[in-house]
Amino acid sequence: MTAVGGLLTVLMLTGIALVLALVTPDRHRSLASGGTSMGIGIAGIFTGVAAITSPPKVALVIPIAVPGGLGLDPLVLSPTPLGGVFCIVVGAVGAVAALYGIGYAHGPAASRTGWSAFALFLLGMLIVPSAGDVVSFLLGWETMAVASTVLVLSDHAERPAVRPAAAWYAVMTHLSFLTLATGFALLASKAHSTTFARIADAGITGPTGIAAFLLLLTGFATKAGLVPLHVWLPRAHPEAPSHVSAVMSAAMVKMGVYGIILLTSSWLPAVSRPFAVLVLALGVLSGSYGILQASITSDLKRLLAYSTTENVGLAVTAVGVGMLLSNAGQPEVASIAFLAALLLVVSHAAFKTVLFLGAGTILKATGERDLDRLGGLARTHPVTAWTFGLAAMGASALPITSGFVAEWTLLQAVVHGDGRANTMLALALPVTLGLLALTIGLGLLTFVKAFGMAFLARPRSDAAASPSPEFTSRPGTAAMGVAQVLGALSVWGLGLAAGPIATAFSSVLGYSGMVTSEMGGLRLVTIGVLDPVALGLLAVGLALPVGLLVLVLRRRVPRRATDLAWGCGGVRTSPRMEYTATSYAEPLVRVFGEALRPSRSLEVSQLGDDRVLESRVAFAQELTDIVEDRWYAPAARWLRIVGDQARRIQNGSIHRYLGFSFAALVLVLVVVTLP
Amino acid sequence: MNPLGLLKLIARNGRFAEPAPPAPAEDPALHLPNSLRGSVQVRHVDTGSCNGCEIEVGAAFGGVYDVERYGARLVASPRHADVLAVTGVVTHNMVEPLLRTVEATPQPRVVIAIGDCARDCGLFAGAYGVAGSVSDIVDVDLTVPGCPPHPAAIVAALRQVTGR
Repeated sequence: MTAVGGLLTVLMLTGIALVLALVTPDRHRSLASGGTSMGIGIAGIFTGVAAITSPPKVALVIPIAVPGGLGLDPLVLSPTPLGGVFCIVVGAVGAVAALYGIGYAHGPAASRTGWSAFALFLLGMLIVPSAGDVVSFLLGWETMAVASTVLVLSDHAERPAVRPAAAWYAVMTHLSFLTLATGFALLASKAHSTTFARIADAGITGPTGIAAFLLLLTGFATKAGLVPLHVWLPRAHPEAPSHVSAVMSAAMVKMGVYGIILLTSSWLPAVSRPFAVLVLALGVLSGSYGILQASITSDLKRLLAYSTTENVGLAVTAVGVGMLLSNAGQPEVASIAFLAALLLVVSHAAFKTVLFLGAGTILKATGERDLDRLGGLARTHPVTAWTFGLAAMGASALPITSGFVAEWTLLQAVVHGDGRANTMLALALPVTLGLLALTIGLGLLTFVKAFGMAFLARPRSDAAASPSPEFTSRPGTAAMGVAQVLGALSVWGLGLAAGPIATAFSSVLGYSGMVTSEMGGLRLVTIGVLDPVALGLLAVGLALPVGLLVLVLRRRVPRRATDLAWGCGGVRTSPRMEYTATSYAEPLVRVFGEALRPSRSLEVSQLGDDRVLESRVAFAQELTDIVEDRWYAPAARWLRIVGDQARRIQNGSIHRYLGFSFAALVLVLVVVTLP
Repeated sequence: MNPLGLLKLIARNGRFAEPAPPAPAEDPALHLPNSLRGSVQVRHVDTGSCNGCEIEVGAAFGGVYDVERYGARLVASPRHADVLAVTGVVTHNMVEPLLRTVEATPQPRVVIAIGDCARDCGLFAGAYGVAGSVSDIVDVDLTVPGCPPHPAAIVAALRQVTGR
């Protein structure tokens, strides 16, 4: 199948999915639409693979005619190899999420609107990396933005928190569209064309180039959820249905990274050169700030959302490091950094899908997403526990997972960059390394917390102790399980087959020869070797004696009954005494208190007039996003004031409106009569 | 205290433990578990004692009567114990903790009721806060009479279990 054929299949399947979503009765809609959406995803994967293996010689060209004779170039859809990588990411994530959605979607998410929006969402995300011109890029971008907004709104009738979240998302994503459209308009007017090839050839520089660069960077950074433009992300991800959160987090934000890579490498390479430090700073700041917020929150989906900011931040850090290094004339190491960016994108897509799907299962089974009220789910949900655990290993960059390979490659690039080249590099590389170490360490802590609090120990609430019976008896549960297992296997597989994948990516980036594959392992020429197979053998070698010992001992000594910790004869060990997510993160909140500014209240009620005995102690902690409080809240206040002022103009008085019409007419007549 | 001072103290005082009486004869009627011979870990449970028995138990484990030389040692949790040494009448509030403690002690275990109160409520029989004697609540393997029992009697009972 060629890439263009794949795209045509995607378009056709989207049409079928829309029709099926509209005509199928309620009972079968999830199966029919979910199945077709899965087909869209698989077609997306084929498109991507075809684009990488045999870059298309033909393109899907759709001429457009705009009244007024603007003379726009036709729409060009022809994925480049780089776009192909992102097509695969979108396709794979979309297919797995759609499979999960067959069992998961219910209520508004499984309605006609819900499934139509899901299909259009996938279509939009597949068009963006396939686009060869500005107009189709923006069309895909807007389809993606609008469809995902509709999906975020799914549960607005049930939970009031959904509405402000969707409003934040809609505003931010459309501000991003606005800056993108303006930036592209500047580029297109300079290049006298809307196709990316001509824009790249034009070699735009000067003030227009800088303005366009900054506008486009802002737009892409908003979509990618980079600090300080991330505020929509921790609101929209938790409130969307989980299969949608998975796609948004694992695939949609990657479009921002795709945009940044294209912007800096293809559209405006000359202009972006001095801004390498800006890109690096955006990435590093997002990485450390995102994971810091994730490590202290106790809302599971909010944690995953902030971790998305972190991972996208890491990918952008890799791009920034690559730009700095290639500025300094070290193309070999720079190519490793760009490779790390792609590996980070792919690995994050794999594990974040599984994590969000796992969070969905937890939410469905218990109705809770607050880690302080979960616990002990490994016993009732073994499949979710294993897959979530494996994905959490990926997210904490532990060996034999995709996350390890990606972060190892990034660290190799940072470590092997030669800081002696210039002062900027000598300053930036160590600082980056330090912040990366902090980010990765906090990431480990975050996911130990997420997995441990949700799945281990005793249930901390009745909801966690007794999963809802209607959930376990639903027929779609099997589809959810299969989707989770598929995702978890891909986390593992990407880690084991690091070599071939990295080789393919480096040829995508045009750096073939920099990376070779050795027995499935990864060899960065002149830098280092990573051999997951050897690591795997080492792990087996270490685990085998321990496992044998356990087996032998189990046979020798009869199995002993285990019980709760000794409570000195009283009923002293209740689940309330367990470590919670909040208490686990307390030292961090203390250490980073200045940066996080949590608001805490401790309320002690005395027993009668007694000064010593206390009847009740209530502790509440509210974690806020300092960026939101300091920057966005004042901006919103200011906008409100301006809006109130503007309302004076439109006060409902018919006289004033007639006056406006007359003034406008006079103005038009004056303008027309001017020579 | 510095080590040298400690050594000096030991040299000045010498051994002051009572001379060891002959080991008690084995009583097959008691059905004490053979696997506990040699060494046992003892958990002391006060279910409502006047603290007289506690003083005697403390003396039994002290330097003079020194039951540790016969292989009995006090521990801090029933999970570590082989023997439960229960003193006092069982008050209403202590019924549940006593049951839990016996349940938490691994098998094979020995329950010793120390003192008259633990045997048959002694002085407190029929008092309003009393649920009964220890044997009313759990199975008792050995009893030590006396109000309070002499430390030597407690030592003798524990030597029955250790067989030393």
